[in-house]
Amino acid sequence: MVNNRNRLYSLLLIACIAGYIWTFLNMHETHNAHLPMQVCMFKYVTDIPCPSCGATRSIIAALTGHYLTALTINPIGFIIALIMLCAPLWVIVDLLRGSSSLFNFYRKMELRLQKPQYSIPMVALVLINWVWNINKGL
Amino acid sequence: MSNAKFFESHQLHFIRERLVEIDDSHWPMLSTLQLKDPTTSLIVSILAGNLGIDRFIIGDTGLGIGKLLTCGGLGIWAIVDWFMIQKATREKNLQKIQHLLY
Repeated sequence: MVNNRNRLYSLLLIACIAGYIWTFLNMHETHNAHLPMQVCMFKYVTDIPCPSCGATRSIIAALTGHYLTALTINPIGFIIALIMLCAPLWVIVDLLRGSSSLFNFYRKMELRLQKPQYSIPMVALVLINWVWNINKGL
Repeated sequence: MSNAKFFESHQLHFIRERLVEIDDSHWPMLSTLQLKDPTTSLIVSILAGNLGIDRFIIGDTGLGIGKLLTCGGLGIWAIVDWFMIQKATREKNLQKIQHLLY
C-alpha cells in the first residue's frame, strides 16, 4: 500500500540501496570467478527462469561496457538500471524542494497502467521476454 | 455485516456508522460495488507472488512492477507479502468504499 508520499519515497530509497549493495556484491563475486548467488525462489523451485532472471548479470555487463551482451542477457536490466539511477535523484530533489512530483507521477502512471490499452501490451512484452528467457536457459 | 471479511475488524464500526448516516441515494452504487477477496489474493500471493501478480490484482500496479522486476524482491518481499497481502487487500477495499460513503 503506497498511499502517502513519504512511504513511497522510503520504499524506493530502501529498494535502491539494496539494489546497489546487491550489484556491488555480485560484481565482486564475478570478479572472483564465482557464479552469482542463486536467489530467485521461482527458479529454485521450478528450475524455470522467471521473467526478470538475469537482470543482475545484465546490469553488471552494462556496467563493464558490454551493452549488447547486457541486452541479450535480459533487457529488463536496462529498465532496472534506469530506475536505480533516476529514482534516488528524483526523491532527493523532491525532498529538498518539498514537492511531491514523483509521487504524483507514480499515481498517474499507476492509474494509466491499469487501463487495458496499456496493460495488455505490457503483459505481452513481459511474456515474450519470459519465453525468450526460458529459451536462453538463463 | 455479511461483508465483514472484506475489511479490517477495527474499520467495521466506522463503516457501519457511515452506512447508517448516509441516505438511500448511495444504495445502488454501494450494492454493486466489487470488493476484492483477501483469501483469493492470499492464494495468488502464495502461487504467483514472485511475479507480483498478487499486487497487480489488488490494484497496486506500481508495487507489482517492482516485485516483477526484482524476482519478488529477491524472494524476501514475496514471503513478507504472504503475510501482508490480506491486510493490503482489506485496506484497498476500504479505499474503494470510502469514495461512496461521502
